[in-house]
Amino acid sequence: MQRHFHEELDLVKEKTLKLGSLVETMVERAVASLVDRDSRLAEEIIASDEKVDALDIEIDEDCLRLLALHQPAASDLRFITTAMKITTDLERMADQAVNICQRAIELNEEPQLKPYIDIPIMSQLSQKMMRDALDAFVRRDAGLAREVIPADDKVDALKNQVFRELLTFMMEDPRTIPRAIRLILVSRHLERIADHATNIAEMVVFLVEGKVIRHTSKEPH
Amino acid sequence: MPTTIVDPIIEVKNLNLKYSAKQALFDVCMDIPRRKATAFIGPSGCGKTTLLRCFNRLNDLIDNVSVTGSIRIQGMDIYDSEVDLTALRKRVGMVFQKSNPFPKSIYDNVAYGPRIYGIRNSRLDEIVERSLKAAALWEEVKDRLHESGLGLSGGQQQRLCIARAMAVGPEILLMDEPCSALDPIATGKIEELIHTLKDQYTIVIVTHNMQQAARVSDCTGFFLLGEMIEFNETPRIFTNPSDRRTEDYITGRFG
Repeated sequence: MQRHFHEELDLVKEKTLKLGSLVETMVERAVASLVDRDSRLAEEIIASDEKVDALDIEIDEDCLRLLALHQPAASDLRFITTAMKITTDLERMADQAVNICQRAIELNEEPQLKPYIDIPIMSQLSQKMMRDALDAFVRRDAGLAREVIPADDKVDALKNQVFRELLTFMMEDPRTIPRAIRLILVSRHLERIADHATNIAEMVVFLVEGKVIRHTSKEPH
Repeated sequence: MPTTIVDPIIEVKNLNLKYSAKQALFDVCMDIPRRKATAFIGPSGCGKTTLLRCFNRLNDLIDNVSVTGSIRIQGMDIYDSEVDLTALRKRVGMVFQKSNPFPKSIYDNVAYGPRIYGIRNSRLDEIVERSLKAAALWEEVKDRLHESGLGLSGGQQQRLCIARAMAVGPEILLMDEPCSALDPIATGKIEELIHTLKDQYTIVIVTHNMQQAARVSDCTGFFLLGEMIEFNETPRIFTNPSDRRTEDYITGRFG
């Protein structure tokens, strides 16, 4: 029975990675729909969210069944509970990508306010955090996971920078307010995506080391 | 029943069983699915073993047992007066909690049944080898087939009994707490075996170990005080049972 069980665990891992890959693509293309001013792309991504939701439910059901039927222990148990939490974070990241698409559609109706510089950087950083967190999950690499956590500070800093810059636009010219606010919201959505990637990384440390580092002050790496 | 079994191999209808005045089974209705593992769980005295022993009419050996209702295997009523009990017990094999190899060689244990049917020589060798392989015991005993079956470990003896049951080509294998006397590793081997046997045989296993039922079975029936309370696909029973009593049992609130 153990062999059968571990095959099922591998399947959960594969599905989680598949979900991660779907979400990564959504985030990348969501920002592209903004930067390239492509509202049709944005609509496509919004529609693809239902695949993410379906996979989220599927993985949850698989994990529930594994817990009920196999009474896993130790790292197998931590793996399943980690997978369930990671899936939740990934699903929320997809929702944030959808939000970015909605903002893009709104922004694309007006002339571009300014060149998009910080937002693409935030996007790249968040995507890298997500990729590294998922790699760490697959390879059970606590070291890689711990590197993701401080990267969140850079994303937070960029979010603040975006806010300050757009604030000056708004103060100078109230007609920019709708666009500026939407861009600030986009930076928030990206900052949330980075937060979720941090959560995933913290869960990976728990999986590998059995240590809970969530909600504690950031550890040095 | 929440689940309709398509193409059942055993159909139980309104089965009542009494040991003299004491009623042990009350109006049991269930269908056992073909080529799957079905587990019977429930606290001591709930009737699960009693029901299992009806399937090969082993209860007939007890004095003053009365059975009403019907059990059909492959559409045939096994309590019909025309039924040949030996033929029935060939089709419906059984292994018990305490393994009981004959005081004979490993080879002769497995060959015993086929020999009675007149099988000899190379054909017999084939059957012995095939049965021992199917019971995942061949590699461990192939070089000592003429040693006594009693010299094997507990887990090996149980697999020998399974091989012996399979040698006569049953369709159904009944297992009455087959792992109760075994250590976790030997138990794991038997559970792994059940997993492979399911492809060809229908397995009905009585177990007081709920986690085992969860691990090995496709369908589970929960029994209490002679009644079948709930019967459904195993994942369903262990994640969201319909009856409160089932939930209380599997969460350890009683029994």
